Amino acid sequence: MADASTKTARAEWGTRFGFLMAMIGAMVGAGNIWRFPYVMGDNGGGAFVLAFLVLLFLLAVPGLMAEVALGRYTNKGVIGAFREVVGRGGMVGFGVIVLLVNIALMSYYSPLIGWTLYYAVHSLLFSFTAAGFEAEPFMEGLFANSALMIGLHTVVMGSIAAILILGIRRGVERLVVYAVPALVVALVIMTIRGLTLPGASEGIAFTFGVQWEFLLRSETWIAALGQALFSTGLGWGIALTVGSYLREYDDVPLGGGVFTAIGESSIGILAALAIFPVVFAVGVAPDAGAGLAFVSLVQVFPEIPLGGVVAILFFVGFFLATFTSGLLITEVSVTTIAEETRLDRTQTVLAICGGIWLLGLPSAYSADILDFLDFVFGNWGLPLATLAIIGVIGWVLGPERLRLLAVNRNAGIYVGKWWDPVIKYVIPLVMLFIMGYFAWDNFREPEMIAGMLVIVLFPIIGYAIMSVLEGRGGHPDAADVTGGDD
Amino acid sequence: MALTAEVLGMLSFTLLTFWGLATWALVRTLRQEGRKVEILRHQDRMDTYSPQALAELREWIDAHPDDPLADTARERYNECVETLRQTDSHFYDWSDREIANLERL
Repeated sequence: MADASTKTARAEWGTRFGFLMAMIGAMVGAGNIWRFPYVMGDNGGGAFVLAFLVLLFLLAVPGLMAEVALGRYTNKGVIGAFREVVGRGGMVGFGVIVLLVNIALMSYYSPLIGWTLYYAVHSLLFSFTAAGFEAEPFMEGLFANSALMIGLHTVVMGSIAAILILGIRRGVERLVVYAVPALVVALVIMTIRGLTLPGASEGIAFTFGVQWEFLLRSETWIAALGQALFSTGLGWGIALTVGSYLREYDDVPLGGGVFTAIGESSIGILAALAIFPVVFAVGVAPDAGAGLAFVSLVQVFPEIPLGGVVAILFFVGFFLATFTSGLLITEVSVTTIAEETRLDRTQTVLAICGGIWLLGLPSAYSADILDFLDFVFGNWGLPLATLAIIGVIGWVLGPERLRLLAVNRNAGIYVGKWWDPVIKYVIPLVMLFIMGYFAWDNFREPEMIAGMLVIVLFPIIGYAIMSVLEGRGGHPDAADVTGGDD
Repeated sequence: MALTAEVLGMLSFTLLTFWGLATWALVRTLRQEGRKVEILRHQDRMDTYSPQALAELREWIDAHPDDPLADTARERYNECVETLRQTDSHFYDWSDREIANLERL
């Protein structure tokens, strides 16, 4: 049990740069590397960029400001922040939705990090440029080897636990301040290598060619909307948690909003510049997802000079991108559970990581299960979490109050009244639209049914749990301290 | 394959917009951080609102005196006013006249 005297001060980011890199490290994940470049090229290139930019400023930037500000205002994890706003009782259970979605998300994201770890290790062994290497059988061999997949999942969760135990400043911050710049440097070097290859211009034309007619297609806007919301991790509790460790005089809107949303998207743009010139230079068909990273690109490396080194840069960078995201996704639960129970940080980390490891076994065992969960939580679970967080800010706390009391306090830029209706109306309506659109698009499919179950059951479970716990006063006195290293 | 002016234009626009803006935000926030650290080296506290933000906070308090968060808002307003009066270096662009015109709530 935690010694109450140790729970007297909350951890803080050691530096401003540490906070900014934590935000970027959390938000830049697999989607920026293996999804964004293809979605961009496939949806009108420059036309998609414009649609994406509009939605980024309209939704993601204000939304992230709100979420970081809520964390900073309450200085609490997800459930504590909800309690601070709605008061004790069952309604705090809407914070539990965010927690459940995060745990579910991490349960299938950890095996995916394991894939990138496996490829990073093989890049260091120069496997991809060895004679007789074949990309597709190699990937299929990995997916078919359940023991190896479970082993990788175990290594990933063990590593995340080891870092989280060290705390916010000595663990998370110490890693992200090196990992995020290293990812950027790796992609820049890969971009330079790719752009100097003959035929690279076709990749640039695919990604940045402007097809204006795409701006009139609803599919372009839906794709841009998905990218703007999911890529920035808006409303998943991550920005709230990271923001809760801000220091007294830290700014919220410039770093937590503008820099995070634009910075993480910039890495997607850089990934497009790093990947497609290389892919097109060798004449491999562009793709997205595992097909792009684990087949197309892997086929490319033996064909280009210094391909083995480029493979190392790409896969190590890719691993760092996914690993730092996994670290911060897990931190959401660690921060909250450490506050809400009498467990100390080490005990909480072990309990959370152990639980996620257990829940992740099916996804590690079968890539099909992972795909299914990714679809269900990507389309319904995550928007539900966003709706819970932005809904509580917009409709209970009130955006004007939060803007006056937290967003504009110590702020690096002034945020005006335009922000209030965006938080109260626009983002919740967009999230409802997304959930409805995907339900209609996948009507009666098993994924859609599972998604509806998530939408109905998670709020009920959350409400029931918190009604019982809050009713019997299961909230410890020394609840507001976590982070582990202050 | 030669790139068209349109592709090159969009590439430049995208890089400038995303990387330009991200770099601007990073440099600006880190410089502001440096300034805050410098101010706090010489005094133990610092103004927390810009003139525009503080004026808006004041308006809101006047318009919502019975709001559940009005006391917190007043505390934050007064804290900023007192700090402005009692310290020499300010983070935001406050003039002496503006500070003299401020009053506690």
